[in-house]
Amino acid sequence: MILSTKKLRKEFPSGETSLVILDDISFNLEEGKSLAITGPSGSGKSTLLSLLAGLDTATSGDIILDGINLNNLNEEERAVIRKDKVGFVFQSFELLPSLTALENVMLPSELKSEEDPEKKGEYFLNRVGLSDRKGHYPNQLSGGEQQRVAIARAFACSAKILFADEPTGNLDPKNGKLISDLLFEVNSETDNALVVVTHDQELASKCDKKIQLKLGRIVD
Amino acid sequence: MLANLSLKLFVRELRSGYLTSMLLSLVLAITIVSGISLFTDRLEKALSSETKEFLGGDLKFESNENAIKDSLKELNLNSSNFLEMAVFASMVISEEEMQLSSIKAVDKSYPLVGEVELKNESGTYKTRNNPPPGTLWLDERLKNLLFLEYGDVLYLGDAEFTFTATIVYEPDRGSTNFAFAPKTIMNIEDLGKTNIIQPGSRVEYNYLFTGSETEIGQIRTLLEKNKKKGDEIESLGEDSSSLGRATDRSENFFLLGGLIAVLLSACTVGISSQRFARRHISYVAILKTLGMQLNQIRSLYLLLFLYITLLTLSLGLSLGWFLQSNFISLMDSYFPTELPTPGFYPLYVTCLTVLICQFGFIFPHISKLLDISPMRVLRSDISFNQNILPMFFMGLMAFFLLLYIYTNQITLSLIIFSGVIVFSFIGIGFIYLMLGRSKLGLGAQDPVNLALSELRRRKLSNSFQIFAFTVAIGLSLITFSASKNLLGSWQNSIPEDSPNNFAINITKEDKDLMKPFLSEKGVEIKTFFPVANAKILRKDGQAEIDRNFNITWVEDLPDQNVVSAGNWFTEDEINGLSISSGISERYNLEIGEQIIIQMEDGAIETFIQSIRTVNWDNFSPNFFLIGHPSLFEKQTSTFITSFFIPKKDQKVASDLMREFRTVSIFSVEELIKQVREIINQVTKALNSILLLTCLSSIFLAFSALQDGFDQRRHQSAILRTLGATSGLVRTSSLIEFSILGLLSGILGSLMAHTGVYFIESKVFEVTPSFYPEIWVMGPIIGIGVVSGLCFYLVNGLMKQSPRDLLKLQT
Ligand SMILES: Nc1ncnc2c1ncn2[C@@H]1O[C@H](COP(=O)(O)OP(=O)(O)OP(=O)(O)O)[C@@H](O)[C@H]1O
Ligand SMILES: [Mg+2]
Repeated sequence: MILSTKKLRKEFPSGETSLVILDDISFNLEEGKSLAITGPSGSGKSTLLSLLAGLDTATSGDIILDGINLNNLNEEERAVIRKDKVGFVFQSFELLPSLTALENVMLPSELKSEEDPEKKGEYFLNRVGLSDRKGHYPNQLSGGEQQRVAIARAFACSAKILFADEPTGNLDPKNGKLISDLLFEVNSETDNALVVVTHDQELASKCDKKIQLKLGRIVD
Repeated sequence: MLANLSLKLFVRELRSGYLTSMLLSLVLAITIVSGISLFTDRLEKALSSETKEFLGGDLKFESNENAIKDSLKELNLNSSNFLEMAVFASMVISEEEMQLSSIKAVDKSYPLVGEVELKNESGTYKTRNNPPPGTLWLDERLKNLLFLEYGDVLYLGDAEFTFTATIVYEPDRGSTNFAFAPKTIMNIEDLGKTNIIQPGSRVEYNYLFTGSETEIGQIRTLLEKNKKKGDEIESLGEDSSSLGRATDRSENFFLLGGLIAVLLSACTVGISSQRFARRHISYVAILKTLGMQLNQIRSLYLLLFLYITLLTLSLGLSLGWFLQSNFISLMDSYFPTELPTPGFYPLYVTCLTVLICQFGFIFPHISKLLDISPMRVLRSDISFNQNILPMFFMGLMAFFLLLYIYTNQITLSLIIFSGVIVFSFIGIGFIYLMLGRSKLGLGAQDPVNLALSELRRRKLSNSFQIFAFTVAIGLSLITFSASKNLLGSWQNSIPEDSPNNFAINITKEDKDLMKPFLSEKGVEIKTFFPVANAKILRKDGQAEIDRNFNITWVEDLPDQNVVSAGNWFTEDEINGLSISSGISERYNLEIGEQIIIQMEDGAIETFIQSIRTVNWDNFSPNFFLIGHPSLFEKQTSTFITSFFIPKKDQKVASDLMREFRTVSIFSVEELIKQVREIINQVTKALNSILLLTCLSSIFLAFSALQDGFDQRRHQSAILRTLGATSGLVRTSSLIEFSILGLLSGILGSLMAHTGVYFIESKVFEVTPSFYPEIWVMGPIIGIGVVSGLCFYLVNGLMKQSPRDLLKLQT
């Protein structure tokens, strides 16, 4: 079991009271499997994803990632978990504008103090088909290309589990398909588990498992 | 609709806190500028009326004869605009004592300006009249020395008088030197009866005039025409009293502080408006896509900045008023009258400053913001057009205008301006060289690597940050050194144990007895200066210098005298004469010039051997002419000396007076106390300006940092998402900013060093001093303040979860 949650609940303070965004979320994900999270806008998908990935803390309930309960960890310890076990792809790419494509992909290896970040970076950049653009800055790349760089960066993390929040949301259908194919292709080459938040039914259907959120709860 | 929208925008901006540093620095600048200009305006007005009182009128004519009186008749002067007075020294004799006094015989127009404050048995009172014939007013000191009661009989020459009042305050104190005998005021009508003034007596006639500028001009022309050798015309503005000079210099300092605060705030405003514009890009783009016309958007922002201006002006002006009234209350006890209310000039300068800041540092950013294409809504990476040249140009123009307004000198402004530009280029070039080329990758393995690579990567924005920090540190250090220099020079002029008593008219016999007499009582006398009267004649016969000087002869250069040309006496160079630089300039006497010194016991042929600058502000005997004793062996003289009697031993002074009856002894304790108090109060004002300037530096540093941190927010969020610990981000930022701080500190010290040198030598016109502490303070302040502020900002970032940070971005 790479990821499991139990009775997860997330509230945001709102004035005197608090808003319940997620409630009673429990599920399991086997190692190397993929999970799609779908649901209408505002149902709490991104919130859930950031909890699962240790970017934010839950109000109550447990998240066990690779055997570690994230809710028992502080921010520094969660950072180490993110570095060692987790990879990310965002809807809005989130590349560093001051770094070239290659440098962006090298970043996770640098953070892990790995031997040769450049070699690994070039390998994954090549894998997403952008080796000829390695010296370009994000603002010199199209949205689809930027997302491919982001995917290369996510895989360069050598993570056990990869989180993607609407990775195709900012792209046209053609590019969207390209990205989702790429995501699953590269994923199949590694034994990563994959968690994707998406509105895209086709992408969701490629996953081993699906959960649907509505008003912060899982519906079947 | 627009007004409503802009008001909403204004309130939102205020709430968001993004405008805080801009607002605070504007308010601070307005406070400092209005406070200082209000204060100096009032001070100047007060001082000119003060110096008018000090001089006794608008114009003063000094002569050894009263011959000018006849020529004055043609002017038909109104007696209330004209005063005649005779000043001389004579013995005042009571039933049992006698004392040398400096006597002022005045006519019925006395006092021409201000009021005399007197005291008699029924208390103090003020008058605008001269003493009635047959009466005398005396210094308190003289009253005590002569053991007098009000109504006692006194003798002056052949005439008998009644002592009616003691003098508490007389307006025309400039007419006699403090280092002289205690004062007596009499009616000039009584002068004849005394038979004191005989042909050849030393008497000085003073004629004082008041009137409009044209009247004074007429009088002046007449006086110039009838002026004889040795006569002097003095008018307002030629005042060189120490109070005048001290306030002049502190005024210079205040203006410097004001200018520096304004420049600092201008930089802050520039940085904050750039940040403001960046933050508003999407807003403007959206308004444009929603179909708002450019004119409307422009009005929206103009209104917004109008609100900002009104808010900061009203806050700043009220605080400025508060500041100046505090300064005034620190010092107003030293002014005899209520300080005049300020004119409109301060308000004008303040508003002009704000206007220039707006045009130079805010509007260029806003107009760039308005240029943004609505396409920006679609592509978030569309930014401003990259042409920053016009903006830079506007900023520089404004900078120059501000310089000009505050210095009022075109050359000076040009020099400072080009200095700053050259300096920035050197600084930025230096940074580029220092940081070198960047390597591949962000270097996120460890904090040091990350910090260094960040420094290299952000060369341009780092350069601007370093520039801002450098300006902040450099200008603060300049203000610091200027205040230190000013205070130092004042404090030096009155050391703790500076002499508080003078003794004059000491005979040779008294001199030999006085020293042991005093040293037995624990009071040491350093030197007795022989004093004699001398005239100088040029040997080549042309243009005789017909003036009496006090001359002394000593072997060692007196304290606080500095030889500025020629040499002081050495073993084989003892035949010359040392003159003060003032005399040298006034009578055009140069080194090596052959002269004859004419004295009571014969003439001495000699030459000008050295020229000294003399600190006239200090409280020890100072001389225009000093010779070597070997040349004056045959001359008779009296002696003058000064010494320090501790407060607890004041009895020593009266013992001394009793023992040496012919010696005139007087205390300057009160005067010293008063000068010390003034210095203390001015110091407080000075320090508060220094503090406010430093505060504006901190605002500048903070807004420069904040600007950098906007760009860092995103990066740190991504790094942390990818698993960088906050420790890594924090440490690397601290290292990075400590390096920036260190660099800026060094550059700031360099800037302060050159700036202080320039200001002292060219503006204050003093010998520039070296301030080694600048070189220590600069880097320490740089590292301390910059990394401190950075720590504060990074901590703010670390408190937010990476998810919130990313959300803020998008
Ligand atoms: N920091 C926050 N404070 C308060 N409410 C929040 C916060 N973050 C998210 N929410 C609320 O939580 C709910 C879920 O947000 P979330 O971003 O997870 O939705 P989502 O399912 O990802 O929607 P979308 O498909 O539009 O991206 C929303 O109603 C949102 O307003
Ligand atoms: Mg979402």
